[in-house]
Amino acid sequence: MQIDVNEYKHENEYKELIENYAGKPESLLAIMQDIQKQYNYLPRLAISLISRHVGIPVSRVYAMASFYKAFSLTPKGRFVFRVCDGTACHIKNSETLLDQLQKSLGIKPGETTTDGMYSVETVNCLGACALAPVMVVNGKVYGKVSPGDLEGIIKEYGGQNHGYDNQGS
Amino acid sequence: MKIKLNGKEREAMPGESILELCKRENVPIPTFCYHQAFGGQGACRMCMVEVREEGQKEARLAAACTYLLNREAEVITESDRIQRIRRTIVMLLKRRAAGDPILKELADAYAAPDLEAVVTEPENCILCGLCIHACEEMGKSAIWSMFRGIDKRIATPYDEASDDCIGCAACARICPTHAISMEEKDSKRIIWNKSFELVACRRCGKEYATREEIEYLKERSDYGQENLCESCRKKTLAITVKNYI
Repeated sequence: MQIDVNEYKHENEYKELIENYAGKPESLLAIMQDIQKQYNYLPRLAISLISRHVGIPVSRVYAMASFYKAFSLTPKGRFVFRVCDGTACHIKNSETLLDQLQKSLGIKPGETTTDGMYSVETVNCLGACALAPVMVVNGKVYGKVSPGDLEGIIKEYGGQNHGYDNQGS
Repeated sequence: MKIKLNGKEREAMPGESILELCKRENVPIPTFCYHQAFGGQGACRMCMVEVREEGQKEARLAAACTYLLNREAEVITESDRIQRIRRTIVMLLKRRAAGDPILKELADAYAAPDLEAVVTEPENCILCGLCIHACEEMGKSAIWSMFRGIDKRIATPYDEASDDCIGCAACARICPTHAISMEEKDSKRIIWNKSFELVACRRCGKEYATREEIEYLKERSDYGQENLCESCRKKTLAITVKNYI
């Protein structure tokens, strides 16, 4: 398995987080949550260290990471734009917001800009349907967002609103 | 324990599954995800039958492979109701594995309507899970079911050559729909995006296993010490026994 060399710089940090928990299968989910919280994704090296620590094959750790939406297998940007695509937001044109974000940032839902600044995701419902369409950026809620508002919101997070290519991963 | 199987009285062992009883009594039931090495999984639902246990008013549908018999019951393996449910199951399974000859045959037998096929990865995979079991039983667990919902598929982590895979092909051999692709040429076997060197039998020269598989088996057991293929191993054993007698 190929591991990004940069991840080795964090090896001791990963180990520290992992070793907070007993080396038992039941620690798996809690460790994964801690790593996800700290790094916004589950690095490959961390997955293989977790596997060794709790005694569960890499394939099963990866399976679990791929199963839950709360985990990401690829690095996420510093700012994560979560656009609600629940029924109410969908009817209120959340798709137009996604289109606009793609135009501005050059990324589709699930992707991250190459400079690691922004990620775009969809969520199934944020439970704030009265504010549809809703978007959350790193915990801050924006309600009744119109495509025109996006430029301003992206600027709040340091965006120049253009100049991103389509190579988000 | 008495079981009324399609109207005939049969004797079942307590804790035995309906499918095991039917196999013993030569009552045919179609299955995909069942393998005698692992028992029932209840994944493919092909083996649905009707059961009415003692004291129950109506017969219910149950998967024969996971339904364990613990008291007297009446089991019916063919009825209109079962035909209907199997037709639906075949229809859905065939959607995933349109290229599989057994599913084609079953679709004809049950007059299952044709749905637009979906392309699965690996192709023709019905997600029965037998390959995962086989790999786990080998002590390797190189593959598992990844992602969820419509994206669920059997794969190695990151879809890359796995450090755990020894190329034993237990997964490919057990697959009921032959979904796992394996290529063998020039003394190499390629499976799950990994290439393995094949080792020839010392006696007949047939390439019978990968280097990694043999090394792994040597660690775990006496098997593989003599570098013989399965049939040559049997032959040498027979000769040894004959000489001994």
